[in-house]
Amino acid sequence: MDLLEQFSNIKFYLLGSYPQGEIGGLLLNIILAVLTICLSFWFGVLLGYSRLSCRLYIKLPCMAYIETVRATPLIMIIFWIYFFLPYIAGTNITVFWSAVASLCIYAAAYQAEIVRAGIIAVPKGQLEAALSTGMSRYRAMRHVILPQAFRIMVPSFLSFFVSLFKDTSTVFIIGVIELTQAGIIISQREPNKMYAAYVCMGLGFWIVSFSISQLARRLEKRIGIFDLESYRPDACRDEFMLLPKKKVTGEETGPDMSCRSADSR
Amino acid sequence: MIKFIGANKSFNNRLVLKNINLEIAKGEVIVICGPSGAGKSTLLRTINKLEPIDDGEIIVDGMYLSDPKTDLTALRAEIGMVFQHFNLYPHKTAIKNITLAPRKVRGLSRKEATERAEKLLEKVGLLHRRDAYPVQLSGGEQQRVAIARSLAMEPKIMLFDEPTSALDPELINEVLDVMVSLAKEGMTMVVVTHEIGFAQKVADRVVFMDNGEILEIGTPPDIFVNPRHPRTKEFMSSVFHIPIFNVNQEEEQDF
Repeated sequence: MDLLEQFSNIKFYLLGSYPQGEIGGLLLNIILAVLTICLSFWFGVLLGYSRLSCRLYIKLPCMAYIETVRATPLIMIIFWIYFFLPYIAGTNITVFWSAVASLCIYAAAYQAEIVRAGIIAVPKGQLEAALSTGMSRYRAMRHVILPQAFRIMVPSFLSFFVSLFKDTSTVFIIGVIELTQAGIIISQREPNKMYAAYVCMGLGFWIVSFSISQLARRLEKRIGIFDLESYRPDACRDEFMLLPKKKVTGEETGPDMSCRSADSR
Repeated sequence: MIKFIGANKSFNNRLVLKNINLEIAKGEVIVICGPSGAGKSTLLRTINKLEPIDDGEIIVDGMYLSDPKTDLTALRAEIGMVFQHFNLYPHKTAIKNITLAPRKVRGLSRKEATERAEKLLEKVGLLHRRDAYPVQLSGGEQQRVAIARSLAMEPKIMLFDEPTSALDPELINEVLDVMVSLAKEGMTMVVVTHEIGFAQKVADRVVFMDNGEILEIGTPPDIFVNPRHPRTKEFMSSVFHIPIFNVNQEEEQDF
């Protein structure tokens, strides 16, 4: 068995039939994820912000939307959009845009929740301080609350982006030739390369997701400038347990309760 | 300047302000004291309507707070407020903390706002820390920046909500010094504090509150040395660590 021969379709996995035909493969997954995040971000912010409104006629529709989408599998949304959107719009929509639309609907709801959590996480005193200097609610939001909220949201956003990237594989069901679909096509066309195809799919997703999460970790470190105290990269389980802390210097006092000695007992 | 007329407020059916009547003149320094949970902070926060009252009326600088037409942002721009936990904006440097509101609300240019902010920072003795972020400042420094931030709006009234109770004892004086100098300049101030020394030094009148009611109003010696109300006596003796000579107890012994 020639190992290199097994992976001879590598270009198809990465780019689809790009130079001759449409973009596909892993590149299409990345394009889908980036496009979706760019478009749905604004809806997410708007939805999350509106959900915090005290006016019921704004709050309730947003809540209904968010809760409905969050309680629906992504694949359902993809089917709905694929079948209903052309019917409602009256025109044909390409599979690609149908995929983008459904991913946006899905992503907006999740991002709305991230935004809401971020805004709530900003201490209440910040809003009071801003209001008491005579800023309007809108200005206080824009200059004081949101800049802080976005910093809080960054880790959640990045981890959502990773999971969204992985979720783009679901749109293979409507025939978008992204990495999953490319692998399935290869494995059906050339059954002797089936194992290689599934290995390629797995590796493709892993490499991109892992790179994003590594990037995310670095970004988190840089963004948390104003909150150095709560940034603890070396946090370990012991810190969260109600055990007496081991003295770093000086003689041993009391029984050693660290987890290592407890385990070895 | 500030006038409370029969103000009432309740949280969850519990009255936290009961029939508050109080008039504060321009340039007066009022200290509100009393046990925790007495409604002192709530009273202070009703003045700039961070807490709305249920009924009654508050008139601040000619503006009726219960009137829905009152422009709240204009009202709050005239009232500076200093909080117990400073509430500086952590994502902005000290100077940016101070210039934000004057630029956005008063419409000052960056240059004008920065000049004003530097003057205020100098006044609170922190000009050398102008580009520090709040996390890099000590508690006392943060609170002084917070005071400068309120002053940058050139308010007519300053409200202080326990400005020193989150500070280390060593850092309290630097904040109190700023407040004393402010009082001497003739600022109208309402201060919720447990700093009796400060109250004795600068307060024109002291308001003693308990259970949402104003029990006693008087000059500092009246309240601290010769309180009339038995509850005030009890509170003051515990504050000054004096054994209680309670009128009621003596009466009970007579029986």
